[in-house]
Amino acid sequence: MSDLFIELQGITKRFPGVVANDRVDLTVHRGEIHAIVGENGAGKSTLMRVLYGLYQPDEGTIAVKGHAVTIESPRRALELGIGMVHQHFMLIPVFTVAENVILGSEPVWGFGRLRMREAQQRVAELCRQYGFVLDPTAEVGSLSVGEQQRVEIIKVLYRGAELLILDEPTAVLVPQEVDELFNNLRQLVAQGKTVIFISHKLDEVLAISDQITVLRRGRVVGTVPAAGTTKAQLAEMMVGRPVLVELAHPPVEPGPVRLDVRQVRVPGRGTRPAVRDVSFAVGAGEIYGIAGVEGNGQTELVEALVGLRRITGGQLLIDGRDVTHATARAIRLMGVAHIPEDRHRRGIALPMAVWENMILGHHTREEFTHGALLNRPGIRGFVRRRVGDYDIRVADVEAPVLALSGGNQQKVVVAREFSFAPQVLVAAQPTRGLDIGATEFVMRQLLAARSSGMAVLLVSANLEEILSLSDRVGVMYGGALVAEFARGEVSAAELGLYMTGAGRTGEARAG
Amino acid sequence: MKHRLLVLQMATPVLAILFGMLSASVIILAIGRNPLDVYAVMVRFNLTRTDSLFSILFKTTPLIFAGLAVALSFRVSLFNIGVEGQYYIGAFCAALVGFSLRGLPAVLHLPLALLAAAGGAMVWALVPIVLKLRRGAHEVITTIMMNYIASALLLYLINDVFRDPTQIGTPRVRTPLVAAAARVPSLGPLLAPLGLHGSDVEKLNLLLPVGIVIAVVLAYFLSRTRFGYEVRAVAFNPLAAEAAGIPNARVQFGMFMLSAGIAGLVGLNDILGFFGYLDIDFPKGLGFLGISVALLAKNNPLGVIPAALLFGFLDRGAAGVQFFARVPKEIIVILQALIILAIVVAYELLTRYVRTQRKREAELPVTATPAAEATGR
Repeated sequence: MSDLFIELQGITKRFPGVVANDRVDLTVHRGEIHAIVGENGAGKSTLMRVLYGLYQPDEGTIAVKGHAVTIESPRRALELGIGMVHQHFMLIPVFTVAENVILGSEPVWGFGRLRMREAQQRVAELCRQYGFVLDPTAEVGSLSVGEQQRVEIIKVLYRGAELLILDEPTAVLVPQEVDELFNNLRQLVAQGKTVIFISHKLDEVLAISDQITVLRRGRVVGTVPAAGTTKAQLAEMMVGRPVLVELAHPPVEPGPVRLDVRQVRVPGRGTRPAVRDVSFAVGAGEIYGIAGVEGNGQTELVEALVGLRRITGGQLLIDGRDVTHATARAIRLMGVAHIPEDRHRRGIALPMAVWENMILGHHTREEFTHGALLNRPGIRGFVRRRVGDYDIRVADVEAPVLALSGGNQQKVVVAREFSFAPQVLVAAQPTRGLDIGATEFVMRQLLAARSSGMAVLLVSANLEEILSLSDRVGVMYGGALVAEFARGEVSAAELGLYMTGAGRTGEARAG
Repeated sequence: MKHRLLVLQMATPVLAILFGMLSASVIILAIGRNPLDVYAVMVRFNLTRTDSLFSILFKTTPLIFAGLAVALSFRVSLFNIGVEGQYYIGAFCAALVGFSLRGLPAVLHLPLALLAAAGGAMVWALVPIVLKLRRGAHEVITTIMMNYIASALLLYLINDVFRDPTQIGTPRVRTPLVAAAARVPSLGPLLAPLGLHGSDVEKLNLLLPVGIVIAVVLAYFLSRTRFGYEVRAVAFNPLAAEAAGIPNARVQFGMFMLSAGIAGLVGLNDILGFFGYLDIDFPKGLGFLGISVALLAKNNPLGVIPAALLFGFLDRGAAGVQFFARVPKEIIVILQALIILAIVVAYELLTRYVRTQRKREAELPVTATPAAEATGR
């Protein structure tokens, strides 16, 4: 390996009651892609914040290019050539790419007049140099998520970073965008940049990295070369016990049709419908997976099915009853549970207490009310049972749900939606942003729901998840269901083709 | 940790008031007076005289209603700036019922007048809330416009339609007198046996305990009922509430109507409790003061009571310092404004602080140590 870029020795960072990083050693060489993996809360983010100057370590030393340094602020980190690409983009949608890139370090003429032309040229140059496909004059709001991420990366490069820290960069991307990101990263290291890649998606880590450092509970479990390491080995290092990468999928005889979608049409923005004449049926004891690149109508379809969006054509039947124009409340009362794709948007109210979130939507049930009043003891008993059953890590159910980790927040949603024997489950991106342990948990719950006779609609951007759980898989493209396959009939690669609209001419059984 | 944050949250209004007083001191110094003297005069004038104490309570009464009205709308993320206009209309409706009906017993006439006030204000508030929920017209704009209309309409009604015919030819522009049966009973007779007398004692009426009771009932209603729970869900995350089947628009509509209904009672302390008629110089601006009261109370119905008291205190104090310390009354107005500014700043700072503290705490369960692991199971 070439020369050392970063050398962390014995980094310890304590927060009241916990040691987030415990004597962490990390060595990153110039020109490598170094992955840092670990479950949520393993200390990855804390370590990166120490490196980026957001936190000061309690113990330990940091050396950059062989010199011991103190990184007291992100500004100092940038001076040392360390830049961070945040998981949540910090972009202004109405600004152009170039305007966003220069924001904070704008080149100006006298009297503060922007040197816009020059900025655009420099951004275009950076894009050319690293093979980024990006129009500097495009408005950021009109870009895809993948393109916005490229803007974030260019922003960091523009400020002269030699080492880029990418915090969970693939969490928001779809497969095609991940491939493109990886191409970009390879271009960067080929030209001498160094990348630290934080993730808990093991396939991706193995595909892109040179070295992998595994953290568990704040400590380094080990650093291994990606070549020659298997997914199972990494998972075991992360979790501390062997993890089943494949889940058992026992045969279940599908029962009567519970969710029947007939030629459903949902309006989108403007004149184009977001969902056009989609038909499929899900029986009891069946998981129907819907794959697709995000933005192809899945969000609108899911919202329409649970009564949150107007259906302008076709019919929606639940257990044989027409609920095409029913309200969200009526559909919920018919036994339809909904795990929303974005829990912070549709799933929970962050400032509300854990117990309050736990009964959201069930709060009118008899056991939770005394006339117009809430039945606090009844609710407390229910919440306590659910917290125990689902192993939700919470000290006090009166605490606001924002105090929980993402995995535990999702568990609150899952526990709530699985309560009171739902007949139909509409699960959108149920494992998004969860670590291995929590993902495995949610996937097991979906399979258990299937075994118990629920009809499950699973919408996910994660093809692996779709393929391992579903009895049948539909592919959405441009608002339509363009293909449908039985379990085992299709590979991830083939699905990918249909997802981009390329496989449409095949003998797909549309609808 | 949690208790410390709680104490801090409760201390914020007090700190804000102190900060406001400190800022006002600069202005008092600038006009060549000693701020300590001025504040001392104010406290002595306000707290050592019976008439002052009762005057404060009288001034507090409408502010409780106004503060509650604004706070209720804030609770569902609506800004009812229209409390001002709503209470004009409420006051007029109460006066109309009061002077046009005769011979009803008090047990019927007074409740009827109160209902007319609340009902009139609610009808008035229908325009902005329906425009908001149906068409998305911003309620701040529409309620402000409705305020102008209410103000002009009221002057027209008093001056041109319902002017007391016996007063024509005099400079008094007012409605006929309200029937005695529609007047709000004074608390004076109850207080007299305690040795409390005087016109300021007589002014104090049943609306003060009514306001306090409404505040307590609302606090209970919002924290313990199903509807209160839905209100919180709608305020904190309307999208999640919608997904849970809670009708956002209906909850907002209900709270806005409740807000307007209470707003309708704001003017009655003066109209039915004191003057007995509605004239063109009746007290104005109480709805806007209600915004400050709600802000200071952090939209908590129980907090509205001390917040309204503070503004009543400052208002009375203004008269005191003007007379005894020869400081212009306007200084008190400036003090009020400074306190409000200080509160906004203090709350913002505190909210940020609490948020970072919470985030730090939130990292605890995430960064699971062996200890947390052991207790977590």
